[in-house]
Amino acid sequence: MAKRVTMVAEIVEDLCTGCNKCVLTCPTVAISMRPRRPDEPGPGRKIAVVQEDICYNAQNCMELCPDDAIVMRPLQEHFEVGTSTDEVSAEAIGQLCMQVGFLPDMLVCVCTDTVAGELAAAILDGAHSPEAVARRTGARTGCTEICLDPILRLLAAAGHGDAPRNPRNGYQWYGIPGRLMNFVGPDGQVDPELVQAYPHLRLQKDVNAMLFKMDEA
Amino acid sequence: MTIGSMPAPHLLPTWNRRRPADVVTTRAADLDGIVTLPIRELTPWLPEPIWAPDSRLGPTEVDEVRARTRARLDSLDWSNIKPGERVNLLANPHGFALSGMAYVAMLEEIQHHVAAATGATVRLRIAESMGHIENPDWMRIFDLERRFGDVRECPQIGQGVEIETRVGTMYLTRQLFNADHFIHTHVTEMREGYLHRMVDRLFKPFGMGYTRLETRSAYHFGYGPRTGQLVARAVFDSEFVQQRYVSTVVLNTSPEGVIDVDADNDLEKLDRRVATDIFRNYAVLIRLMCEVKDVTVVFDGHGSSVYSYAGGIPFDVLYYSNADWLDLDNPALYAVLLPESIRGLVGQYMMGENANIKAFVINYMAGGVPYMYLLKGVPTFVTSPQVMDWLEQDPSGCWIGDAAEVTDGLADAMQRARAIANSDNVIVYDGLPGAMHVSESLAQALRQAAPGVIEDVEKVRMPKWLAQRDLPSVSLSRARDA
Repeated sequence: MAKRVTMVAEIVEDLCTGCNKCVLTCPTVAISMRPRRPDEPGPGRKIAVVQEDICYNAQNCMELCPDDAIVMRPLQEHFEVGTSTDEVSAEAIGQLCMQVGFLPDMLVCVCTDTVAGELAAAILDGAHSPEAVARRTGARTGCTEICLDPILRLLAAAGHGDAPRNPRNGYQWYGIPGRLMNFVGPDGQVDPELVQAYPHLRLQKDVNAMLFKMDEA
Repeated sequence: MTIGSMPAPHLLPTWNRRRPADVVTTRAADLDGIVTLPIRELTPWLPEPIWAPDSRLGPTEVDEVRARTRARLDSLDWSNIKPGERVNLLANPHGFALSGMAYVAMLEEIQHHVAAATGATVRLRIAESMGHIENPDWMRIFDLERRFGDVRECPQIGQGVEIETRVGTMYLTRQLFNADHFIHTHVTEMREGYLHRMVDRLFKPFGMGYTRLETRSAYHFGYGPRTGQLVARAVFDSEFVQQRYVSTVVLNTSPEGVIDVDADNDLEKLDRRVATDIFRNYAVLIRLMCEVKDVTVVFDGHGSSVYSYAGGIPFDVLYYSNADWLDLDNPALYAVLLPESIRGLVGQYMMGENANIKAFVINYMAGGVPYMYLLKGVPTFVTSPQVMDWLEQDPSGCWIGDAAEVTDGLADAMQRARAIANSDNVIVYDGLPGAMHVSESLAQALRQAAPGVIEDVEKVRMPKWLAQRDLPSVSLSRARDA
């Protein structure tokens, strides 16, 4: 679907120390720093600045701010962000989703009701980093957590796994974590060493479930 | 013990400076027809708590918790910790929310004991999760900086540390592990049982609570319905964690409060030791939620949707009660992640979307945790414009305004929900421990269903569950006779 944006981050300039933590965590990279002018009293040489049209109310900045220098202001007029999949063929979307083992109608961002196909469409249509996907679809601006691994994997499958972090030392995302399917051979069998390491976990049966072979799960 | 009628727990100020008590003036527990159903009436073999959040359930003093913590700590090996080293004492918000001062007391005893025994500096580090900013402000409520000195809340959105594990790279929250050693703490209650499936229960924070966004996401999307805990085991077994890990200390809980403190240097041994208690104290109640029919669910407390509690049991138990997720033979898939296009093929293996939930009433509920998928197709009523505003402002629930209707107060919402449900069954998730606020009809239904559920659990399901985990037998009858 998309994100309905109901609040926007607002910097309390008198309290902002310019520590940059908000810049490092914003999933849409909506915050930057500017120099504090001599006529502006305050504790730091820099002040955070919010680009309001791409602030999608994720609230990570407020949570991380160590100085209570960010508040969320309710918007009088809500606005919605989202992507249209019209420009990208259903076949291309399906192919990209299947590369990472998702059906196109699988829900990925449970906060914004965004499915894998919508994320794939945005990526195929030019959103080549997690931040760009967030801006285009609204995904990852809710809890900012649950959908991250699928977004990173879709980007990698589309050839954008080398997208640089923005900013370079940002906390928005780090990398793609290990997953069970990395230990499954072409025959559908789980690496015996992994099975032996954790014999109490039903690894093979769960792989079968993930492949929807429920009779063998 | 007869506990009589209990009020709903007070609503507390939240981290983001909201004061829900000023807005929510009528609580569901105060409505005509809502009664207090003691958990002990349904599962009379529960051990007497050594600490309870309410004096009607047990002692509220923490002396016994402190004494047992000290006794357990005395028996642990702290020799890895050298004078002058830094030790992070890892805590989680669920401990504060569910076990309150008992959890604080346990943490204080650990800090004092380890500092005295080793000469190290012990710093409290709280592993935050989704919903942090909408939850009660535990730092202020329990005055944690005064008690512990160096305390940090460590959100999962903060700086990470990349580690190598048996299943590949994982990302942890750096602040939690930036010390020479760490001590893991936990509470044994049955939150997210549908995820951990009572496999490696005490390991779970190593796959979720102590990790960053990427790892948590992979727990949901990169593993099967019974093997998310592989993430937890792999992270715990990693060289990075093992170099720093010292011990684990847990509050062993029942739905009424705390029944014991346990600790061990060996997490696996400790996990197995508390597992049988968890089955004994929670399993019947988990299965009893399958007997809740045609119900209106009322959220009226600090929990957020699946993490809202009634009688010490989280809402996720009711939501996922259409599958026996304690049975490891059951490959049930999460409904929320099951695309429509595949439901015809595997829909019978679906867990969630409990069709017996006929309506939702939100009198107050914290946000921060995705929940819109729970409401799909279920009429939902919000009892005031202010609460609706708060819900709409939550980044995780921006579409609530389209999915729910604001009513003229709580009574109006209840009347409309009951009409839709065509039933008087109501269960209130207000965080009350040891007893549930339910309608008289549902109380009666649960009382009637309990003997059959107990027999089914004791004779049929429990032996299978325990055998699947190679755990010793648990007899509810013997526990009751003891």
